[in-house]
Amino acid sequence: MAKGLPKSFKKALWVYHCNSGSCNGCDIEIIAALCPRYDVERFGIKLVGSPRHADVLLITGPVTRQMEKRVKRIYDQMPDPKAVICVGNCGNTGDVFYESYNLVGPVNNVIPVDVHAIGCPPRPEAIINAVAKAWVKLETLEAKK
Amino acid sequence: MTKKEETTKTTYQLPIGPIHPALKEPVMFEFEIDGERIVDADVILGDIHRAIEWAGMRRNPIQIIYLAERICGICSISHPIAFIRAVENACDIGSPERAEYLRVIQAELERICSHMLWAGVAAHEIGFDSVLFLTWQMREKALDLTEYLTGNRITKGVMTIGGIRRDITKDQIPKINETLNYFKDNFEKLRHVFLDDKTFQLRSQGVGILTKEDALKLCAVGPTTRASGIKKDVRVDQPYFAYGDLDIDYITPDILTGEVNGDVYDRIIVRLLEVKQSIGLIEQCIDKMPEGDLVSEPKIPKLLAQIKKTKAEGIGRHEAPRGECVHYVKFNGDSEHPYTWKVRASTYANILPWIPMLKGEQIADIPIVAASTDPCMSCTNRVAIVDNDNHKKYELDKEQLHQLSVEKTRRLMR
Amino acid sequence: MTNTKKEQLDAKGLVKYFKDEFKTKILKAEIRTRTAGSKKNEFVEIWMKIDKSIFKKMMKHLCDYQFPHLAVVSGNDLGKNIELIYHFSVNFGERFKEISLNIAVDVPKTKCEIETICDLIPGALITEREKQEMLGVKIIGIPDDRRLFLPKDFPEDVYPWRKDKQPGLEKLIRNLHEGVKK
Repeated sequence: MAKGLPKSFKKALWVYHCNSGSCNGCDIEIIAALCPRYDVERFGIKLVGSPRHADVLLITGPVTRQMEKRVKRIYDQMPDPKAVICVGNCGNTGDVFYESYNLVGPVNNVIPVDVHAIGCPPRPEAIINAVAKAWVKLETLEAKK
Repeated sequence: MTKKEETTKTTYQLPIGPIHPALKEPVMFEFEIDGERIVDADVILGDIHRAIEWAGMRRNPIQIIYLAERICGICSISHPIAFIRAVENACDIGSPERAEYLRVIQAELERICSHMLWAGVAAHEIGFDSVLFLTWQMREKALDLTEYLTGNRITKGVMTIGGIRRDITKDQIPKINETLNYFKDNFEKLRHVFLDDKTFQLRSQGVGILTKEDALKLCAVGPTTRASGIKKDVRVDQPYFAYGDLDIDYITPDILTGEVNGDVYDRIIVRLLEVKQSIGLIEQCIDKMPEGDLVSEPKIPKLLAQIKKTKAEGIGRHEAPRGECVHYVKFNGDSEHPYTWKVRASTYANILPWIPMLKGEQIADIPIVAASTDPCMSCTNRVAIVDNDNHKKYELDKEQLHQLSVEKTRRLMR
Repeated sequence: MTNTKKEQLDAKGLVKYFKDEFKTKILKAEIRTRTAGSKKNEFVEIWMKIDKSIFKKMMKHLCDYQFPHLAVVSGNDLGKNIELIYHFSVNFGERFKEISLNIAVDVPKTKCEIETICDLIPGALITEREKQEMLGVKIIGIPDDRRLFLPKDFPEDVYPWRKDKQPGLEKLIRNLHEGVKK
């Protein structure tokens, strides 16, 4: 469990997932985290279909030129307080796609990232850990109110 | 008098995407709809263009293997295989017999993972989330085996030019058998859920039909084309690796039902039977696998020096879970970087067949029809319905579209 | 599509079938055989190079023999020319019988255009559109000439797969690792 996470949560965490040009490796690991083996829904973590409902944005991929505006728009549509998790090496640093004419990443250049989940792709455990870290941020913000 | 005509002629435009749950890459659809019926469809690609081929022309073949692996996280064995075959073909590099069997095992294991993943997605698209969880739970077993054999769940990094990087030792075989037996035991359950269930039949039979003629004309590949009755499978047509030594045949839906309709149901049959076929192939490989080396040239600098001297071109073809995957490479003899590298992924060829499949279907059928060619999943979608009459814009997000699909299932269940 | 089943030809027969029709306009025809597996099963590829003047007739002649499966069209920038390679497979549907047929044709950069084959093989549309934007080969008579992969605001005269110096492309290149915040 991530450091600083309280024993009881103020709210269930709703997650929105956006693919900005990833290879699907991270995306299937995110779904795997939702499926019976890891079953994050038991903690109240749920994937939602609209950014307007979400607390956390999971973003994968190195952000292609076409997706740049859309990623920004999704980020703007999310209500505050919000946290952004960048899943996978390519979104964090570029990784194997370090050089390209059609990429504008890393994600940090486009929207502010709170938690970096490293791995290509990260294991579901790592993704869950990242979500828990984002939770800490949101809980702390909530507590300050 | 003209008023009536106008109302009958009015069609709506319905763009879907660019982020869509059923697509390998974010792709955008534009539909022309008349009420609930789709009149015309158009596909707009490129939202995920990462310039991989361009980047590949600046790297050496060993580096490209890892780049090829990241073209798609689900075909992370298929693309390296096709690339390796192209390089081996161009530079006339052989690989040891044992490596050829090991490559088949890895490729077939990936096929099981991929088809199980697809089965879950297809069930999700028509509102059967319990089946999604069932299949993904079974898929975890295959992933466990993958991790046990390669050290990784998704990107395996086992392929290399002139061989394979990881052996399967004798003490690993019981675990393989255990997993294969698990799938064999559960196959009947899976078959029953997908093929005998009335709701599944109602949603998939006669939906998204691709005729044999269209499949041929539009150059469809993989289970999509085989479900339309075309016998086309690189593993059988032009056996590579150890496939020529193994007992393998084309899988078409008439094996099970005696007829070919080319609908979504047939595509489900083909994929389910292929899971069974893959299990059989892995077993055959384990039986027949000879002893020997893993790579023909263990020294990578030597290998690269040989490639650098070569002035040749070659193609590599592999039957990936979604269909034939083709890579073309050309070396110019003055650099170890390929002069040209062209990738033709399977979904690339299965995009045009979407159009005849979707024409005449209902909006609620879009998710399952689009998913039936097994593109991949990402989890969001926005659909805007533009009403030509009033220039009003409605927006339907992925959830609502999914909801429409689920509602149709519920209606049919009544 | 009249797919009257003609007698299946092997690799040599297929090369002869084209050579009889086009004679010297076929500049090169190489049959390449490789083996695989412990039984050393053979598989055959044909690599051909043809003159541009017979291109369309050649495609028609191929379709007359059998409706082929077009895998993809790939392209090389050879300096003065652009070489397009059409990768087909024929004789599929029977074990060990399939032949990969690769037909190359040179297009000069000064008059960089070639006829479409979409009227013969509708499935060629996507790959032809890709060649237009990536290599700048104009496809004459293409039913749909929009861009495929590149964004709408991508400069018009920049073709990523060409090898000549293209300042327009260099401006677009980004090194992602430089953007990492330390």
